[in-house]
Amino acid sequence: MEGKEEISDTDSGVILHSGPDSHTTMMKDVKTHTRVMKLKQQSLEDRLKMCLVELKKLCIREAELTGHLSSVYPLLPGEKPPQIRRRIGAAFKLDEPSILHRTENSALSSVEADLALQQQIYVAAQRLCQEEHLSKGVKRSRLQQYQREERKLKDLQEAVFRLRLEHGRSSPRPGIITQRGASDDSSLSDSAVLEEDELSSQLSSEPPSAPAVDFYPPPIVISHVAPHAPVGPSYRPLQPLSYQTPPQSLESLHTCQSPENDPAPIQNSPWTESSLDQPYQKMKRSPSVKSSPSTPTLPSIEVCLADAGIPLQIPTHAALKHTQSCSAPSTPEMHLRRRQSLRLPITEPNHYQPEPVRGRLKGPRRRLTEFAVSSSDYSQMRLNVGNPVYYSSSEDSNSEHSFQSYASSPCQEHPGELPWTHQSQYGYQYASLADNQVPQRCSPTHFYKNTQYQSSPSFTRGYIEDGWGHALEMDSGRSYVNHQAPVYSSNGHYEYYCEALPSQQRSCRLLPAHVKLSRAPSLREYPHHPSRGLPRQVVSEELKSWHQRSQFRPPRPQSLDRNRQGALRIRNVPGQESPLSLSQHHRYQEQQVVLRTPDRLYEDESEVASQV
Amino acid sequence: MSFIPGQPVTAVVQRIEILKLRDGDNLILGFSIGGGIDQDPSQNPFSEDKADKGIYVTRVSEGGPAEVAGLRVGDKIMQVNGWDMTMVTHDQARKRLTKKKEDVVRLLISRKSLEEVVRQSMMQR
Repeated sequence: MEGKEEISDTDSGVILHSGPDSHTTMMKDVKTHTRVMKLKQQSLEDRLKMCLVELKKLCIREAELTGHLSSVYPLLPGEKPPQIRRRIGAAFKLDEPSILHRTENSALSSVEADLALQQQIYVAAQRLCQEEHLSKGVKRSRLQQYQREERKLKDLQEAVFRLRLEHGRSSPRPGIITQRGASDDSSLSDSAVLEEDELSSQLSSEPPSAPAVDFYPPPIVISHVAPHAPVGPSYRPLQPLSYQTPPQSLESLHTCQSPENDPAPIQNSPWTESSLDQPYQKMKRSPSVKSSPSTPTLPSIEVCLADAGIPLQIPTHAALKHTQSCSAPSTPEMHLRRRQSLRLPITEPNHYQPEPVRGRLKGPRRRLTEFAVSSSDYSQMRLNVGNPVYYSSSEDSNSEHSFQSYASSPCQEHPGELPWTHQSQYGYQYASLADNQVPQRCSPTHFYKNTQYQSSPSFTRGYIEDGWGHALEMDSGRSYVNHQAPVYSSNGHYEYYCEALPSQQRSCRLLPAHVKLSRAPSLREYPHHPSRGLPRQVVSEELKSWHQRSQFRPPRPQSLDRNRQGALRIRNVPGQESPLSLSQHHRYQEQQVVLRTPDRLYEDESEVASQV
Repeated sequence: MSFIPGQPVTAVVQRIEILKLRDGDNLILGFSIGGGIDQDPSQNPFSEDKADKGIYVTRVSEGGPAEVAGLRVGDKIMQVNGWDMTMVTHDQARKRLTKKKEDVVRLLISRKSLEEVVRQSMMQR
């Protein structure tokens, strides 16, 4: 018994029942047990081996795809990591239409299909060629293959071109080789087969030419080839066909490899602590947070409008703009500007004195646009919406204008610049207007000088049509003090504005898109888009200043005659004489048309020019 | 405290009840917080996982209500009065914690030492 117990103790912890059985049975038991264990171990080891083999296979496959052997590749003590041959450009998708629709135009389409195929082979060969870390022999052979493929491609291109000419298509069909969206999962073997087919069908065995650097034609260069050239078996005219594929594929590769990281919706602000011993206050606004801009400024506009008794179509517009421009820094600036503009009419009687202020006012804007008369910017853009109807398209200046006209409570008071311009440019449209109300300043020449858009006639026309008055008005209102010029000449205008309002409202939303669509290049030129939040500022500026002036200014008669004599610009800067006795309509005290003497004009023009 | 997105998170939390101290109009909690989904989590000195955008206790004033309640620097606040604090902005967390009409805040906090203690006790079992 003792012996048995000893055995059971020594025997690897397996508890054996030391029964009345003999020693031999015990031994047998142990033996069978160990055998079972060994078998189990064996099977486990086999399984492990299988798993390792599988892992190896997977690793190699991965390495073939990625080009790097993964670190988990199981290496036996003396084993070397396997050589990985990466498959480059092995998988591709052929242009289906050119393959599938062979029937219709047999000769041509078959050649086209061949060409599409050859295109792929060519690209693949090119990529193989560009692979790094190759031995010399491999590199040379690949280079040769690449050259072969290139030659074949050229031949095919020529053939296709000739066939197309025969078929009456003088220019290569541009969309024919538009394959290459995604490379499917076809493996290397497929393409190899295809390639062989191609090779055999081509029966072209060119002597390998010397390895040369110029065998890597940059795809960009190819793509720059003029889309067409005269006939002839030369290589050039065929290029348009060939360029379509390589760059695209390269690009798609790039994008696949480095997908853009979407910016996080919430921007991280630096880590901060906040003590909870103080009551919660909203002061903690991180500068980048989007909500900051909207709140402070909007109410003020609403207030302005409420003061003026205006329906709130502008705020929505402003809000729209605002949401578009989420740059927080704009807000304080705007505040500042507004304040300045408010102060101006009172403090500076002459609009030429406030030069520094003016400069300051313009400063930020000029930075943005390099185009100082930013207001005309607006109108310009708006004009370009291309709406022939007068005001419906130009929303910003319009809205401003209209609300100014609203602001003047009696109907007879109107900001007048707008009608003037219209009169001048389109007298027929305002037949009811007296001729003497046409100011000289609206002469086309001046206009051209003033604006920078001579280049595009359509634009200038639109500008004249709809916006010049606005532009000027806004311009003066903004960069100079505030001009306001409620020189409304006829009631008809007022009515007109009233009518225009709804359409403006409607157009407000659409505008930015319109602008972008219609005048992309110029927008780029003048990056400072109305959506920067300026319109609101301008609007409120004008409104406020207008109100202030209306409070402080005694009514002044104004004469258009003087205007006619020499003033190209109308500045309604308080303190300047040259009142226009325009008519029965306006008793707007605040508004003054500044008579500009020629030198003044010149000065102004030069200034404008310098601001360009 | 790491987690797999989409999987339920298990965390060892401690319940802490802080009685706000009234100082005139002020309610004093006696601690500071940092973090939130709007802050750069990598600068958080207290988090293990530097991608963790949770709210962390960064300061506990001596003798303050928070210390009395057992809050410690480095605790991660999981909930405040039942409101989740693991996916809130910094300001939202502040708001929740400093409600004027609430004199008591009940926090669920997780702390590394807590987790370790629990783990050990489970291992021993």
